[in-house]
Amino acid sequence: MSGLLFNTAFAFYVAGLAFSTLVFFANKAALFRIAVVTVGIGFGLHSGFLIASAVETAHFPLTGLRDSLGFFAWTVSLCFFVSYVRYRIRALSTFLLPAVAALMLGTVFLKASPIKPMLSSAWLYVHTPLMFLAYGMFLVTFVAGVLYVFEERELKNKKPKTFYYQLPSLTTLDDLFLKFLVAGFSFMTAGLLTGIVWAEQDWVNGWHKDPKVVSAMVTWCIYLALIYLRLTAGWRGKRAAVVSMAGFLWVLFTYLGASYFGGLHQF
Amino acid sequence: MHPVLVGLSHKTAPIEIRERVAFREEAVASALEALRRDYQLRESMILSTCNRVEVLAQGGDDAETIDGIKDFLYRYHSLEPDSLEQYLYALREQDAVVHVFRVASSLDSMVPGEAQILGQLKQAYAVSGQAGAAGTALKALLPSAFRVAKRVRTDTGISQSAVSVSSVAVELARKIFGSLKGKSVLLLGAGKMAELATRSLVRSGISRVFVASRTEARSRQLASLFGATSIPLADLEERLPESDILLVSTSSDSYILGPETVNDAVHRRKYAPLFIIDIAVPRNVDPRVNQIENVFLYDIDDLQTVIGANLRERRREAELAEEIVRRESERHMQRIASMSLGPLIADLRGRLEEICLAQLEQSRQGMTDADSNRMEQILRKTARRIAHPIIMEIKSPAQDPQRRLHNIQMIKQAFGLDKGE
Repeated sequence: MSGLLFNTAFAFYVAGLAFSTLVFFANKAALFRIAVVTVGIGFGLHSGFLIASAVETAHFPLTGLRDSLGFFAWTVSLCFFVSYVRYRIRALSTFLLPAVAALMLGTVFLKASPIKPMLSSAWLYVHTPLMFLAYGMFLVTFVAGVLYVFEERELKNKKPKTFYYQLPSLTTLDDLFLKFLVAGFSFMTAGLLTGIVWAEQDWVNGWHKDPKVVSAMVTWCIYLALIYLRLTAGWRGKRAAVVSMAGFLWVLFTYLGASYFGGLHQF
Repeated sequence: MHPVLVGLSHKTAPIEIRERVAFREEAVASALEALRRDYQLRESMILSTCNRVEVLAQGGDDAETIDGIKDFLYRYHSLEPDSLEQYLYALREQDAVVHVFRVASSLDSMVPGEAQILGQLKQAYAVSGQAGAAGTALKALLPSAFRVAKRVRTDTGISQSAVSVSSVAVELARKIFGSLKGKSVLLLGAGKMAELATRSLVRSGISRVFVASRTEARSRQLASLFGATSIPLADLEERLPESDILLVSTSSDSYILGPETVNDAVHRRKYAPLFIIDIAVPRNVDPRVNQIENVFLYDIDDLQTVIGANLRERRREAELAEEIVRRESERHMQRIASMSLGPLIADLRGRLEEICLAQLEQSRQGMTDADSNRMEQILRKTARRIAHPIIMEIKSPAQDPQRRLHNIQMIKQAFGLDKGE
């Protein structure tokens, strides 16, 4: 049952991605609505899968790398919907939907991992979702920063092209950037704090030397610096985009690369 | 049933010809009267703007009507046929319908998507109506054209992008700031063009206007016009950081604003975007200012470049609009075809009944009255039965309009129903 839900959700995501790509060639509002609805159905099915899977196996599908990729895809599409409903920026789909599809595709190549006894703690269900919600928001921040740079360049060069006609104002993109940055940072802070509490309880010692913990701290500092520079020195445009890109690359490293150096994190 | 159209436009004729063929507004009614009186045109309408002169008319035969309109144009404007003929286009049936739809939707205009032409067309139709020159053909076509034009406006972006200097200034400001509510503009110098641009900006929600000008009187005049605050030129550097838009148009022949001043202002603005419009010639703002982060400097040529890009964008949208016009003209042709079926069906039924009863007339001798009456009833019913499948066939909505027209023509010919028209 849950496998079927997952696969159908995947199919709807891919179909939504295909529709939104078509919009790029034939700019029709109706077509984009179809794309959004299709992704919406995919998101609904995906949520259904998470619940069904939790009921079937008596634990939430969050315990291995494979599960986490799927959950990350879920938080990215959640962020897509929240940002789309609030800002109506079609170009967001061009960047976020491929990310969703790629994450879903990643799960296909991985096997489910066995559940370690430590992961039966309730903290798992607080710490991990908070972190992935933060990652999803940082992805939106990054995309907003890139879109800002694209539109800024067209305005500076006085060559209005695709982004000039498709995107909302720079101020709107900046607003989206800042809101998702602050929200993502808040979620990450909460995620780190719960992680620390959990580690203090169950992890005998040396949690602060875990590569993933160190790497996450670096990520946190990058975003803290970005917020500080944005608010005090007015960093936006290219500089902000570069930092948010660095931040997100570090997020990806923390998520996928840090465990390579050992440590207790399952993924 | 469809009116024919004869005319010329900016696409076919140079201004020297267009101005000679144009109708003065007050002369249109009498021209319509002349078309009816001298050329027996039941319906007519004249659209005369600086970019086009077109006559729409409905007479008996399309070819004759076209010749009549041409002759009228030559005589009315005392022109040699040879000198005018080459500029004229003559359209009929669906071609005329498509053309009227395109004109109404501003697809045939010099600046595609400009809104004026629709008003001019409505005016021309109203004048024709007042002169009693609008009959079924025009009344079927023009309201359809107005509806199509409205659809094109709402369903495509053809009239969205800005194509004048003031509107481009507003469009760019919106691209940078989003809503202009709460934003402020500082006018440096106060030319006529700056006044126009400020008017557009204020209409789009700009809330604060400051004016700094060498001529005090002009400064005060503008200040009263926009409820603006007049400030001394010397305060420029101090005021710059609180301005979101700077509109420069002084008559200075050297740069009055350089990178250092702007850099300083932007720094004090915490790098909130600053939009500088330099419409002075020679330019007043050092072009290097554009390289400063979050500063967007547009001179008059840059604004023209954006206008050019917007026009290209409009032409792209025009392609979507052409598709709408094509579909709607098909639909219009079909609707008109089915509207004209009513009389044809009645004629066909009458004709078939006539044929049957004529046969009865010849055989009535030797029949009792009762037999004869019964026979008549049977024959009437038979006539209806025969007519039924034919009517169903031509009424069928699935039919291709070309074929339907052909079938109707065939039925008319076969049963001799053509005379009435």
